[in-house]
Amino acid sequence: MIQLKEIVKTYRLGEVSVPVLRGIDLIIDRGEYTAIMGASGSGKSTLMNIIGCLERPTSGGYWLNGQDITQLSDDELADIRNYQIGFVFQQFNLLPRLNALENVMLPMVYAGYSKIERQQRAEEVLVQVGLSDRMTNRPSQLSGGQQQRVAIARALVNHPELLLADEPTGALDTKTSHEVMDLITTLNQQGITALIVTHELDIARQTRRIIQLQDGLIQQSDTSFNHDLGTRTK
Amino acid sequence: MKLFNQTSKRLSTQPLYTNRRRRKLNMGETIGLAWSSLLANKLRSILTMLGIIIGIAAVIAMVTIGRGAQAQTERQLKSLGSNLLFVQSGVALTGSPASQGAGSATTLTWEDAQAIASTCTSVSATAPVLNVRAQVVRSELNTNTFIVGTTPEFVQVRDFLPLTGRFFNQADVEQVARVAVLGQTVVGNLGLTADNAVGQTIRIQGEEFFIIGTMEYKGSSQFRDQDDQVMIPITTIASRIVGVNSLQGISVNNISVSAKSPEEMDAAQFQITNLLRLRHQIVPPRSDDFIVRNQADLVSASNAVSRIFTALLGGSAAISLVVGGIGIMNIMFVSVSERTREIGIRRAIGARSSDILWQFLIESIVLSLSGGVLGIILGVTTSSLINLALGWQIGVALDSILISLSVCLGIGIFFGAYPARKAARLTPIAALRSD
Repeated sequence: MIQLKEIVKTYRLGEVSVPVLRGIDLIIDRGEYTAIMGASGSGKSTLMNIIGCLERPTSGGYWLNGQDITQLSDDELADIRNYQIGFVFQQFNLLPRLNALENVMLPMVYAGYSKIERQQRAEEVLVQVGLSDRMTNRPSQLSGGQQQRVAIARALVNHPELLLADEPTGALDTKTSHEVMDLITTLNQQGITALIVTHELDIARQTRRIIQLQDGLIQQSDTSFNHDLGTRTK
Repeated sequence: MKLFNQTSKRLSTQPLYTNRRRRKLNMGETIGLAWSSLLANKLRSILTMLGIIIGIAAVIAMVTIGRGAQAQTERQLKSLGSNLLFVQSGVALTGSPASQGAGSATTLTWEDAQAIASTCTSVSATAPVLNVRAQVVRSELNTNTFIVGTTPEFVQVRDFLPLTGRFFNQADVEQVARVAVLGQTVVGNLGLTADNAVGQTIRIQGEEFFIIGTMEYKGSSQFRDQDDQVMIPITTIASRIVGVNSLQGISVNNISVSAKSPEEMDAAQFQITNLLRLRHQIVPPRSDDFIVRNQADLVSASNAVSRIFTALLGGSAAISLVVGGIGIMNIMFVSVSERTREIGIRRAIGARSSDILWQFLIESIVLSLSGGVLGIILGVTTSSLINLALGWQIGVALDSILISLSVCLGIGIFFGAYPARKAARLTPIAALRSD
């Protein structure tokens, strides 16, 4: 599903070039449950952003579902983010002026669904994440765990195949962290491909494959605690 | 490239939407979105709109008042009498280089008026006017008004008829009768009504006058309030009020002349000029000691004045609109930088940069148009009040409202385009990382 080949990302800070990713090769299959780990500055968020089509690599190839992402226009990337990828962020990134339901409906607005379709689907997803009684609350009226559930519902609303979560539990306490991880695990069991960036081993252990990133290179791809999946790194 | 493991197959209830065709963003919803974001900052939005509000209100008021004034001028000029020409005394020759202005010399006489009437074939009647400002007294009430000495032809030439009683006649003129016909303003100022004024007596400079009639309402013109004057025979004013007789007879301030038809105005003007040059023995290089003006001159003079006013008002309205537009641009930039994170979130979940462009452009247009609508309300209210105060019956022109709205639309687009473009050009990741 995801194939990365020789991905390099370099940021320019004035005259200085800062290499963040220095040649990443990675294959992730449909239905996998993967964690990317690494110290801060290891490039894990950048890798996530490239996989999420938020950033383009400086060089290298990226195929998503066999489609060459590097050849796509900005608008096509927006469309892929819209209905192939669901994003969950550390800071939830909900729009504060919209209530839970409206936040969840937002990706459907850009996909062009009618208001009725949107409402129906958003309610369905909010029920799925266990927030059936919080639909009209604004983010400020929700706890961190509830906000992250809204964010997950928003990520799911357009039926993406890929769920990307960048430190999804980073702003949560241990208990709610587990609840959120349980939710993501359940979603993965229902079929979605999930990719989580985290620096907590505790969280990463709940996935079935851990990719260690260090200084812009994959150090280790460990599926030792789950050998059922025929995955590997190059 | 790889073995596909079927253990984690998608649930069949979740269809693949990889090739879902994207529909266009609903414009109504975008407008609703813009509206709610403006409502979230009510005070700021209103303050931003202020420039537009004032500009548009000025435009509406200006157009309405301008049209009202023009209609009023035309009505007044018409009310002066049809086919009217004015002959005024010319520039006084004082020997000093300073011109005393038209009418300062008393070169015209009653005889001139009579000669014009009898000689010029395109002229139907003339009315000489000798006037003076004087105090008019009735018992304990008094008023300062124009005393107009004229002949019975005044009624015909000025198209100005008595409302009650009668105008003085040829016999009154010959007998130097102390009779007066009052304009309605004077009637009111002396505590009388049109019905009870006839038969009363008034005093003008100590002389007793018998009121024989009151004139119909005429309204004011920029020349003079035609209701605020007292008409008495020319012979009476010359002998009892003004008391300045030139050697040529009774000198007058001006002569009102009515041409036989609108087509003969030019002919009449030509004939009068020639006759008066002859009578006043004006041979080049001496310049005329009189001026002949027709209504068209007066209309164009007053139109020129109102055009200048319109240009001035229009200019300040335009400046206000430009300033308002810059205000909108400024606040849109603020809005874009405040909502950079929102832009990032929207981009991350699938908004195209054109979606962001439209969101902010529509917001700017909604802001500008709301200002325009408020400005129209303010402008209509203002001009209605002015209409009410001046007693005009001028409606607000629909076209000025439509033009205002299109101008606002233009301002919204023009001044919103750059901030909207800035928002649309933010990369998703840069926008997401901002605080």
